[in-house]
Amino acid sequence: MSWVVLLLVVLPFVSAVLSLWVGHRGEVAERGIAVGAAALGFVLAVAVALPHLGDAEPLSHVFAATSAVGPPIELAFHVDQLSALMLLLAHTVAFLVQVYSLGYMAGDPRYPSYAALVSVFTGSMTLVVTADDLWALLIGWELMGACSYFLISHHWELPEARAGAVKAFLMTRTADLGLLFAIIVLGVRFDSYRISTIMGEIATGGFGRDDLWLPALLLTAAVVGKSAQFPLHTWLPDAMPGPTPISALIHAATMVAAGVFLVARAYPLFLSAPVALTTLALVAAVTMFIAAVSALFTGDLKRVLAWSTVSQLAYMFGALAVGAYEAGVLHLLAHGAFKALLFLAAGSVVHAVGTTSMSAMGGLRGKLPDTFITMTIGFGALAGVVPLVGFFTKDAVIGAVWEAAHEGHLVWPWVAWLLLVSAVVTAVLTVAYSLRAWLMVFFTPPVVEPVETPAATPERADLHESPLSMKVPLYLLTIPTVLGGLLVAYPGVAFAEVEHTLVHPTTAVLMTLLVAATAAVVYLLWRRHGGRDPWHPFVLPHPAVDRVYDVGVVRPVRLLARAVRAGDRDVIDGYADGAGATTRGLGWLLRRAQNGNVQAYLMVVVVGACAIAVAAGVAA
Amino acid sequence: MTWVQVVFVLLGLVAVGSALLVVTTRNMVHAALWLVVTLGAVAGVYLVLAAEFLAWVQVLIYVGAVVVLLLFALMLTRAPTGPQTDLDARRALPAAGVALLVAAVLVTTVVAGFSEVTLDLDQAIVGSAEMTGATVFEKWVLPFEVLSVLLLAALIGAIVLSRADTAGAEDDEDAAAGSSDTADTADSRGRGGR
Amino acid sequence: MPLWWPLVLASLLFAIGVYAVLVRRNAVLVLMGVELMLNAVNINLVAFDAWFRDVLHGGQTLALFVIVIAAAEVGLALAIVLRVFRTHGHIEVDRLRELADRDLDPSTGSGRRELDRRGVR
Repeated sequence: MSWVVLLLVVLPFVSAVLSLWVGHRGEVAERGIAVGAAALGFVLAVAVALPHLGDAEPLSHVFAATSAVGPPIELAFHVDQLSALMLLLAHTVAFLVQVYSLGYMAGDPRYPSYAALVSVFTGSMTLVVTADDLWALLIGWELMGACSYFLISHHWELPEARAGAVKAFLMTRTADLGLLFAIIVLGVRFDSYRISTIMGEIATGGFGRDDLWLPALLLTAAVVGKSAQFPLHTWLPDAMPGPTPISALIHAATMVAAGVFLVARAYPLFLSAPVALTTLALVAAVTMFIAAVSALFTGDLKRVLAWSTVSQLAYMFGALAVGAYEAGVLHLLAHGAFKALLFLAAGSVVHAVGTTSMSAMGGLRGKLPDTFITMTIGFGALAGVVPLVGFFTKDAVIGAVWEAAHEGHLVWPWVAWLLLVSAVVTAVLTVAYSLRAWLMVFFTPPVVEPVETPAATPERADLHESPLSMKVPLYLLTIPTVLGGLLVAYPGVAFAEVEHTLVHPTTAVLMTLLVAATAAVVYLLWRRHGGRDPWHPFVLPHPAVDRVYDVGVVRPVRLLARAVRAGDRDVIDGYADGAGATTRGLGWLLRRAQNGNVQAYLMVVVVGACAIAVAAGVAA
Repeated sequence: MTWVQVVFVLLGLVAVGSALLVVTTRNMVHAALWLVVTLGAVAGVYLVLAAEFLAWVQVLIYVGAVVVLLLFALMLTRAPTGPQTDLDARRALPAAGVALLVAAVLVTTVVAGFSEVTLDLDQAIVGSAEMTGATVFEKWVLPFEVLSVLLLAALIGAIVLSRADTAGAEDDEDAAAGSSDTADTADSRGRGGR
Repeated sequence: MPLWWPLVLASLLFAIGVYAVLVRRNAVLVLMGVELMLNAVNINLVAFDAWFRDVLHGGQTLALFVIVIAAAEVGLALAIVLRVFRTHGHIEVDRLRELADRDLDPSTGSGRRELDRRGVR
C-alpha cells in the first residue's frame, strides 16, 4: 500500500513530463495523458484513502533516509484520516478540473504547459498531505507556490495576470519563511523531522502551556500567507486573472487548502500553544468579516468567489482555533466541493459571456440552464441553505464557536465571542453577497454589452451552454454539495473518534432564520432598485491593506533597489571602470615614452645607469 | 711637476677642448677635423703613458682610417660643408645636464677610488711593437683570432648592407636579370659566415 | 703622476661623447660621439696598464682590440648610414621614428601604410 502512495505522488510529475514532451505533437495524446493521469490518480487516491477512513490505523512508511549530520531527512509517508480525506478532495477536484479543462481550454495554445502544471500542482498537494517529513512537506508546499505563480500568469500577456502572479508569489513566499523556520526550530527541539513522531511526542504531553509557542506562531504565519488570511489576504482576489479551472483548483483543493491542512496536521502543536490558537482566532475573525464585505461590493464574479474563499477559510481557521477539529476539516471538505462547483460554474458563465464582470451578465437563466442549476446549488451551499452541505458544516463551525464562547478553555472567552459575532455577521453577509451575485448573473438584465475578446465571445443572441466536458464535472460536483451533509451527521465514517457532536440544533435554527431574513431583505432591495445591483450607489474603496503594503514595503524596497543599483553603478562599477581608466592612462603615459626617438630612449638609459651607480655608491 | 706631467696636462686640455668643439661645432666637416685633433691628442696621451705601439696604431687607424671613413660618410650623405643651425636637437640643455651628471659620477668615482695611486712612469714597461707583438701572439692569440673573424663578419656585413639589391630589396629587373648573381651572393655570404 | 689624472681625462671625454650621442641629429656626428667614448675607455685601459704592469699587458692589448673593433664598427655604421640615407633621404636620427608606438588608424593611414608611403620596405 505504501508503494501506491509513492506512485500517487510520482504519477502527476511523470504525467507532467509526458505532457510537455508530447506537447503540440498530438492533441489527442496530450489530452489523453492529462486526463488519463488525473483519472488514474483519482482511482489510486480512492484506493489509498478508503481503507484509512474511519477508525483505521494510519499507514506509515519510510522509504529512505539521509544519514548525514543531524536528524535524518526521510522519504516517509503517513496516511491517516486527514490525509485520506485531503487525498480524496484533491484528486477528485483535480480530475474534474482536467476533464473540465478539455472544454474550457480547448484551442488554447498553451494547453500542454497548463496541463503539466495542473499535474504538478496536484502532485505537490499529494506530497504535502501524505509526507511524514517536514522537509518533504516543505518541498510540496513550495512547489505549489511556484505552480500557482505559473498558472496565475497563464495569460502572461495581460499585465494584471503578471502582477497578480508576482503578488501571489511574493506574499506566499514571504509567509513560507515561517514554515522554514518552524521546521528548523522543531528539528532542533525534537531531533527529528518526522511529523508523526513530533506530533506524537507533543500529544503524549511533557510540554507546558505555550512551551512551543515559537514554532506554533511560525506555522501560523505560514498558513496565514498560504491560505490568504489577514493581513496577507489580498493576493487571492488578485490571482483571478488566471484560468477559471485553476481558480477552482487553488481555492478548493490545493493551494489555500494546504494552509488549513497544515494546521490540522500539526494540531497537537497548536493545541499545546494557545497563543497561536488565539492569534489564529483573531486573524480568522478579522479576515472573515473583511473578506465578506469585500465580496459584497465587488462587481467581478470571480472576485466575489475569491473573497468568499478567503472568508470561508477564515471559518475553518476559526473552528480549528477553538478546538473544533472535525468541524474545521469538514468545512474544508465541504468548501472544496461547493467552491470547486462554483468556480467551474463561473467558468462556464465566463466561457459563454467572455468576461468576468457581473454587470455584463444577467438574464442567463434561460440561456445557460445547466450552469444555472449547478451554480444555484453552489451558491446555496455557500450561503448555508438547508439541506446543502454548507449549511451543516457552517453550523458545525458556528456551534463549536458558540460552545467555546460559553465553556471553552483553549482561547479566552472574549476571543471566542468576537469570533462568534464575526462568524454570524459574516454568515449574514455571505447570504447577501451570494444572493446578489446569483441575482446579478442570472436575473438582472445586462447593463454593459459583453466585451469582445479574441478568446471566444459569441454574439449575445447565440449565447450557448458549455460543452459536455464542462457540464459533467458540474453535475458530478453537485452530488457532494447536496449530500455532503450526511458526513456531518455521521462523522464516524471519516474520523476515528469524534468528541463533540457536530449538529447544533439551536444555532441551526437561528442561522436558518437569519439566512431567510437576509435573503428577503436583499431580494426586496434588489426589487427596489429595479432588478439591478441592490446597493448600487455604494462602492468599496480599494483595500487599505494594499496601500499599507505599498507605502510600507513596496516603496522602501524600490528605493533600496534604486540605491543598490546606484551604488553598483557609481561605486562598484567605479572601481572596475577606475581600474580600466587608470590602466589606459598609464598606458597612454608609457606610449608617450615610445615616441621612436632613440636618443630620448638613450637619455633615459644613461640617467638610469647613473642613478644605479649613485645608488650603489651611496649604499657602499 | 715634471715635464711629463706638463705634457700630459697640455695634451689633456687639447683633447678635451677639441672634443668639446667636435660636439658643439656647427660645421660637420669641422667636427670631423676637430675629431682628428682630439684623437691625435689621445695618441699623445698614449705615448706619455708608455703605450708606444698603441699610439701609432691610434694614429694609423683612427686618424688615418676612421676619420677618413667618417668624412666619406659625410660626403656620401651630401652633408653641407657650411655651418648649420639644426645640427643639435632641441634637448641640448637636458642632454648637457645628463652629460654633466655622467661626468660627475665618473670623476667622483675615479677620484674617490684612485686618488692615492701614483703612476711611476719611469718604471713603466714601454709597449713597443716587439713587446706588444709578443704579448698578442703568445698570450692573446685566441682572442686575436676571434677578433679576426669578427672583422671578417663586419666586412661582409658592411658589404651586404651597402648593396642596393640585397635583403629582399631586389628590384624586379634585378631579379629578372640575374637570379644567379643573387645566388652567388648568397653563396659567398654563406661561406663568409663560416 | 697621479693615476686619477688620465682617469679624469677619460671621464670627461666619455661625458662629452655621451653628450654628442644624445644631442647630435646627424648620424655621422653621433658616430663621432661614439668614437670619443671608445677613446675614453682606451685611455682608461692604458692608464691602468701603466699602473699594473702585468705580464699579460691586458690594458694595452685590450685597447688595441678596442681600436680594431672600433674600426669594424665604423665600417658597419657607415654602411648603415648610407643605407638609411638611400631609403629616407636623410640621416637625421630623431626623424627615424618608424618604430614609435602609434595608433593604427585606418582613416589617417596605418603605420604600415605610412611606411609604404615613405617607400620603406
